[in-house]
Amino acid sequence: MVKIKLKMTVNNKNVETEIEPYARLLDVLRDKFGFTGVKEGCGIGECGACTIIMNGKKVNSCLILAAQAQGSEILTIEGIENPDGSMHPVQEAFLEKGAVQCGFCTPGMVISSYQLLNENPDPSDNEIKEAISGNLCRCTGYKQIINAVHMAADNMKK
Amino acid sequence: MPLMGKKNYRHLNKRVNRVDAADKITGRAVYAADISLPGMLFSGCLRSNYAHAEIVEIDTAKAKAIKGVHAVLIAGDVPKSQSWADYPFLCDGRVKYIGETIAIVAAETETLVEDAIKAIEVKYRELDGVFTIEDALEENAVQVREKGVGLKDGVPCKNTKGNIFYDSYYALRKGDVEKGFEESDFILEREYRTSYVEHSYIEREACVVVKDQSAGLVTAYASAQNPFFTRRYLADAIQAPINKCRIVQKTLGGSFGGKEELVGLIVGRAALLAVATDRPVKMVMTREESFLESAKRHPFVFKYKAGLKKNGQIVAWEGSQVANSGAYNNQTQYLACRAAIHSAGVYNIPHIKTDTYGVFTNNIHSGAMRGYSSPQIIFAQEQFINEIAKEFGFDEIELRKQNILKQGNLTATSQKLTEETITLEMVDHMVKRTEYFRKKKEYAGTHGSEEKRKGIALVTCYRGCGYGAETPDAGAALVTAIEDGTVLINSGLAENGQGLKTAYTQIAAEGIGCTPDVINFVGVDTHSIPDSGMTVASRGTVMGAQSMRKAAIELGDMLRVTAAQQLGVKPEEVDIENNEYYVIGSKPLKKTSMANVCNTRLWTGKSMAAFNWSEPEDLGIDHLTSQGDAFPTYSYGVVVAEVEVDMETGFVDVLKVSSGHDVGTCVNPDTVEGQIYGGIAMGQGFGVTEEVPVNKGVLSSLNFDSYIFPTSIDVPEMDAVIFECEDSAGTYGAKSLGEPATEAVGAAIAAAVADATGKPVRELPCNLERTFLGRSLEKERR
Amino acid sequence: MIRFDYKKPDSLGDCLDLLDFYQGKARIFAGGTDLLVEFRADDKKLRDVEVVIDISKLPELAFIKSDEESITIGAGTTFAEILNDTVLLKFAPFFSEACRTVGSPQIRNTGTIGGSIGTASPASDPGPPLVAMDSFLTLVSPNGRREVLLCDFMEGAYRTIIKPDELIVSVKFRKLNPDAGFSFVKLGRRKALAIARMNVAAYVETGVDGTVKDVRIVPGSCMPITRRIEEAENMLLGEKPNYELHAAIGKKVSEKMVEASGRRWSTPYKEPVIATLVKRALNQAAGVE
Repeated sequence: MVKIKLKMTVNNKNVETEIEPYARLLDVLRDKFGFTGVKEGCGIGECGACTIIMNGKKVNSCLILAAQAQGSEILTIEGIENPDGSMHPVQEAFLEKGAVQCGFCTPGMVISSYQLLNENPDPSDNEIKEAISGNLCRCTGYKQIINAVHMAADNMKK
Repeated sequence: MPLMGKKNYRHLNKRVNRVDAADKITGRAVYAADISLPGMLFSGCLRSNYAHAEIVEIDTAKAKAIKGVHAVLIAGDVPKSQSWADYPFLCDGRVKYIGETIAIVAAETETLVEDAIKAIEVKYRELDGVFTIEDALEENAVQVREKGVGLKDGVPCKNTKGNIFYDSYYALRKGDVEKGFEESDFILEREYRTSYVEHSYIEREACVVVKDQSAGLVTAYASAQNPFFTRRYLADAIQAPINKCRIVQKTLGGSFGGKEELVGLIVGRAALLAVATDRPVKMVMTREESFLESAKRHPFVFKYKAGLKKNGQIVAWEGSQVANSGAYNNQTQYLACRAAIHSAGVYNIPHIKTDTYGVFTNNIHSGAMRGYSSPQIIFAQEQFINEIAKEFGFDEIELRKQNILKQGNLTATSQKLTEETITLEMVDHMVKRTEYFRKKKEYAGTHGSEEKRKGIALVTCYRGCGYGAETPDAGAALVTAIEDGTVLINSGLAENGQGLKTAYTQIAAEGIGCTPDVINFVGVDTHSIPDSGMTVASRGTVMGAQSMRKAAIELGDMLRVTAAQQLGVKPEEVDIENNEYYVIGSKPLKKTSMANVCNTRLWTGKSMAAFNWSEPEDLGIDHLTSQGDAFPTYSYGVVVAEVEVDMETGFVDVLKVSSGHDVGTCVNPDTVEGQIYGGIAMGQGFGVTEEVPVNKGVLSSLNFDSYIFPTSIDVPEMDAVIFECEDSAGTYGAKSLGEPATEAVGAAIAAAVADATGKPVRELPCNLERTFLGRSLEKERR
Repeated sequence: MIRFDYKKPDSLGDCLDLLDFYQGKARIFAGGTDLLVEFRADDKKLRDVEVVIDISKLPELAFIKSDEESITIGAGTTFAEILNDTVLLKFAPFFSEACRTVGSPQIRNTGTIGGSIGTASPASDPGPPLVAMDSFLTLVSPNGRREVLLCDFMEGAYRTIIKPDELIVSVKFRKLNPDAGFSFVKLGRRKALAIARMNVAAYVETGVDGTVKDVRIVPGSCMPITRRIEEAENMLLGEKPNYELHAAIGKKVSEKMVEASGRRWSTPYKEPVIATLVKRALNQAAGVE
């Protein structure tokens, strides 16, 4: 099998590498580019720990072939913070509201919340729950995460 | 009302931001699977497809011949294939459950590991197996383990052969239960059961093991709940002295008791491969492997019999609590101790006779899972109390209030409850807060519906804090100040996601007097601090932090001496605020910074480190009667659940859970609430959907598409109610919460379901089939 | 995990050339949400696959077109695109609703209707509404095109009559009456990320006299092949919708289920519950309490 030359933009940087045709985007992001903030929890698109934003849509990177990402724009958890390294309002809110315990689902939760607030700056409880319904958490019971998204929405409006 | 916040602490009772949250939120936190080292090899395990079989032949030649495969090891290739703890690193001779590891492989890439595993040829001779608790107890059942014993006169007997794990047998004998039943006006007997449950932490087990040639050292970076426990496996596998074996715990993505044996085994295996190949080796479990080989929650069969007087006083309680231990086990003996101690619920009963033990079967091993028997036991006991109430015409709340343990009562082990015990206040408060009686009446109005019925129920429970009589609850802490006024704290206990680092930071700040933000908690590195036991049993804050508190106070005293010298007064005249020592009452304020003080101490050769090893008071119970002082103190819980049951489909919608916990002293309301909310979700799963169906040893659920736990849309409305009291046993009066936060929720939900449907719930989980049909269909599934 | 090569054709024509070349050793790859899970599990039916053909970005396959009489959806259209489409919400709201319940938001952003139909899971959510609308598929191969009724396309659980060199390009159905009653009822073990334990798609159209002119009833995840239950539908034709009749129709559907599948381990649960779900679907569609 011939390797594929993959070119894409990750967190606003152009990147390039060679990949096997069957490689998962999740593994390429983690192993080739060091974006280990993207996690694998189940490998079958259930838990959402691997959630990233690809061409403006949130997807499970464990079910995306790296080859499919040719020419794509990818945003991972590492790209959410502000260019000066300070945390994005969503991240600040997660910190303030105690929305993190073991932290393994957190990158995926932050990505889903970030994407929600981009599309819907004033979400209801139900809209928040729906937005994170594909992100499983075993520690928090989701409540403080939902509180954090509300707080972020409020802060971002100012 | 002893809710929260009446105590006066500087840094406790405060919503301090978690000290480890920022790294997790930005993706910077390093978990074991994130590590990559130069020259690192990947590895994997070949697993048995049979539940019980002789390995006739293993041929690894083809696997070894693959280019890029560096090692293929089977039991015969390693110094010790059975670990110190009963579980095998590599199966030798006879496989005893599906998923058991037969061979391990190290290769350049993950695809080569897959190829090598596929190329190993194994011939098996299948044997008959035994799988359920009832089958395991049959006379002449297949014997799974040589050491198993049988029953005589209804209790485990050493001189017989069978499948009972004798070391796990705890008998509890208090008073005279025959006399108690004779005095009873009412007697009831019932049976309950629970299923296999999976921890389902989102991070899978992972490690990277590397040899350091120059130091003769082997280091494992691992997702280890209990780093010292894991270190024992590492040293055991490669037969190296323990002081040459090092575990560095990485950020842990949840454990709940599941990352104990399996992490020890994979570290041992990766170490064997690292030694064989002279390269660093990474081993990461797939989710399916985690289902196959990580410990499960013990399924239980409970038989209870209780006798009451006409006035509602419970005078006699008899029972058996039998757990499914699986094929290998090193946990049931500790778990059964706790289960025996709590075998009669949170009630004041004079005559008790219970027997608790585990049986070997050809299944995955059962092990520690949040609660360590309590969710199963509380489910059974609380349904039983409600069935008693219903059968004999008592009110469920009044019956509990009448019999619940109060200060001064004797527990089931005849331990006198000397600490403040606020059980009645908690029940009254929760009843009022949830509008229990109004809702009970309102929901009763739906009980004639064929479609949707609502139910509400309240359950009560208690939990011995820390290890108690199981094992000495001792641990170490090291607190060091540095010349710039910052502080390093080091503990033998580990952050599993529960908030230990933050709690310890607050406790150290409280002891020293400085602010939490100048403190840095070093994660557990077994080279840097003595073995402090496991981070289990919700012991982290209550007992484990005692050494942190004492070391911090000692350091605080040291620094105050120098501050006093600098300020020209006696140490008693000095206090600290915002990291500045000042003379009390001085105007203008005479002060010196903590940094000044530390700098002086460094350059004048004075110590700035305090080490403390804290041991608990002597506790102990014996196997034959389980009588004695079992725990230093107890946490109490009262949980109210409200559900709506779809009578035509069996779907249980959990509407609201109000969860009240007496935590003694609440160190950090954010983390305590987080544990309670998370505990509610986990309890909802335990009560309604979570089950790993196992049929003749075959797991029919191996990933999250079929193993169902709550999403954000499933969780109920949650009310976390924190109570405090005066307790002398725990650190700053704190008591356990991690396990209490979940252990009564399943019971409350099941009881609410029974209220809604009018039918008792005797088996968990209350999934669609059980709730609709009254029975599980799993046995009929081929 | 099965290892495969990857090809990305720029056009449908190129795609067909690849199918022709690989003859059965190729699999069409759209969202990948089913296929990649199967590859990872070393699924037996994929053992001979050498290459995946990525059609996910082909514009010819991602569209929702509607004319006077019918609606055609490109096989490469994602669930997210479907559930937000206003034409579908008007003319096939039960199909929009079914697509809304698939997987998770992440899955819906990549999973496609063509992929779902091709996977032919017995627990499919979009399947019952599509079958209810008598949908048919257009299949294209290097040798031509053919149209197949959706319920004829499925042979059983995870089995279809698709030929090795074929791909689904679109699914088409006649527009139903947007003022009639549509419902999609799904029973899962949890409320999101749930595979249907059973589901039902129903359509009830009444005339001015209040009697039923057109009715479709399709239960999912309980028949060997998902199809309209005509015997049940006939019970409602010409009648006024009412609770008792819907309950009886539910029972009829469960009878047909047992007839078709026999008594299995799950029948004690499924038999009564499918009856309830059908009753509820009809009540909802007909606006009956």
